[in-house]
Amino acid sequence: MLAGSVGLAAGAATSLPFLVPRFDQVRRPSRSRVAILPAEKYSERLERDLLIGLRLFSLDLRGKSVLLKPNLVDFLPGVDINTHPLLVVAAAQCFLKLGAASVSIAEGPGHQRDTELVLWESGFRALLDEQRIPFVDLNRDELVKTKLHANYTGLGHIWLPRRLRNADFVVSMPKVKTHHWSGVTLSMKNMFGVVPGAKYGWPKNILHWRGIEPSIVDICATVPIHFVIADAIVAMEGNGPLAGSSRALGKVVLSDDPVAADATCARLMGLAPERIAHICETAKFLGNASKELIDQLADPVTAPEMPFRTVPEFEYLQAR
Amino acid sequence: MASFDGFSVFPYNRVMTERLLQISFRNALIGRQMATGGWSYGQASAQGDLEPTCLALLALRWDSSPSRARGLQFLLDTQNPNGSWPAFCGDDPEGSGLTALAVIALINSGELALQTERGLKWLLHSKGKESHWLWKWKFRTSDTHVRFNPDKYGWPWMTGTCSWVIPTAFSVIALKQAFVCCKTEEVDPRIRRGKEMLLDRACPGGGWNAGNGVVYGVPMASHLDATATALLALHGEEVDDVINSGLHWLERRVVTCSAPWSLAWSLLALDAYDRPVGSLADRLCDLSDPGRIRDSATLAAMILALDCLVQGNVFKVLA
Repeated sequence: MLAGSVGLAAGAATSLPFLVPRFDQVRRPSRSRVAILPAEKYSERLERDLLIGLRLFSLDLRGKSVLLKPNLVDFLPGVDINTHPLLVVAAAQCFLKLGAASVSIAEGPGHQRDTELVLWESGFRALLDEQRIPFVDLNRDELVKTKLHANYTGLGHIWLPRRLRNADFVVSMPKVKTHHWSGVTLSMKNMFGVVPGAKYGWPKNILHWRGIEPSIVDICATVPIHFVIADAIVAMEGNGPLAGSSRALGKVVLSDDPVAADATCARLMGLAPERIAHICETAKFLGNASKELIDQLADPVTAPEMPFRTVPEFEYLQAR
Repeated sequence: MASFDGFSVFPYNRVMTERLLQISFRNALIGRQMATGGWSYGQASAQGDLEPTCLALLALRWDSSPSRARGLQFLLDTQNPNGSWPAFCGDDPEGSGLTALAVIALINSGELALQTERGLKWLLHSKGKESHWLWKWKFRTSDTHVRFNPDKYGWPWMTGTCSWVIPTAFSVIALKQAFVCCKTEEVDPRIRRGKEMLLDRACPGGGWNAGNGVVYGVPMASHLDATATALLALHGEEVDDVINSGLHWLERRVVTCSAPWSLAWSLLALDAYDRPVGSLADRLCDLSDPGRIRDSATLAAMILALDCLVQGNVFKVLA
């Protein structure tokens, strides 16, 4: 009882920046679609299963340029911190099969300035070269000044990579993890990686000073996430995003709505999406977090017996 | 009959190979210069960026081609009214955390004292937000998950944010290079504080991450380029345990590195400390096709690294 009260109080405190709505328009669809696909391990079979899952959404990708944004943070041997390269490459092949004119993979790591080193050591470089898939370092792309479509940070505008802006179809591909500053890092937090280091530094510390959750909302209000493919085959719990423990969930989560994807992933983690401030706020204008407004196209949402462990400050997120 | 392997039979041929590669890299770098005189990170960009431009100017500092003069003019033309430099052409005017790199480029061009002085003045006023008493108090009392001493501050990436390793290291190098013999009352404490900040933020296992050594009780993993840059800034100081363990970490870690940016910075740092770097130079030479090095800042850093064995290390500073 006491723990619950503390949790609610903490949740309310986290929500303080969101007391007044600061978005320019409501773009929430009437309903959203999510497909939870079973996937026990990272293998060549992923491409076939992913293609079946993607076909459930009847995406019209003909002639479009697709940009895949994985979560590629750093390389720490033996720690599952990045979206797995086999899943990312499988997604690239699927989108080409679905008629995309081009597919590129793009990321701007937050702390590690040597993106090429991360690509090499995480196994991405060999796969990308082999399959001739181009990679864009979002930390070092040409930049375009962009007005924010929400202003919870007070930044007003943000500089964004031109090749991100020019992409017709942006796919956020997070690694499902807990996060010691924002509770979780899912498809929306993953978009911190589009903020360019060349302008904002390594790390993009201005986003921390303006508030991580307000920054997530502002970025996601401004950069459209057309689709989500979340890597929950092996997720992370505890002191994420770098120092947590691996936790096998055996799932890939697809969605045409990042808010619905993140709310679903949170439920799969045994966390309550209604207690996660940036999910709550974006559910007011960007997407749907409510179970009733999400059509599950594949497996049903099942909460784990034991919720994901978090750092103590975020234990109130656990849906016990 | 054994095949002729000139590279291994005659040691001087390695030097020749390096020299030929440098010419090839240099030509590639000049070929990437934009009409404006600046360099962008990637060839797909039409925007001059501060970091590749500064590194290119340093790499071409002995060059008498018009390319260097045009690059310098671009750098001068893009200086902000407050003395800082923007991160890229067209950026907002507050100033980039890599302003120190522009100062280093100008100092090593041996001219343009007025612009350098304005850049130095801006650097002396720029500091991490944790230097303010309110934030010091916050970091000491409530916001304690990141282990650091806010009394020891350096330079931020952006105004209004905390100090980080790369901008602090470049700022210390710029101030040391600008004030070799006569450090004023304003300069000396900033250099000292910057060095203290770097020593304070080192990772427990040796080396440096982007900014903090321990977060949520967990030691951070060090990065090669951050470690190399911090070591360059600390060169000439009394070698203590932190510097020693940083050097040891760098020597161990670089053995498995195959990325040219990190290799180049590691070579520059280890060379400054008179560590053997022949094998690193060989590995950089192995990445000899400049067409495969898509990032111009990386290409320039490679030239600087190979060049340091012959023409001197541009980042080497004395106490």
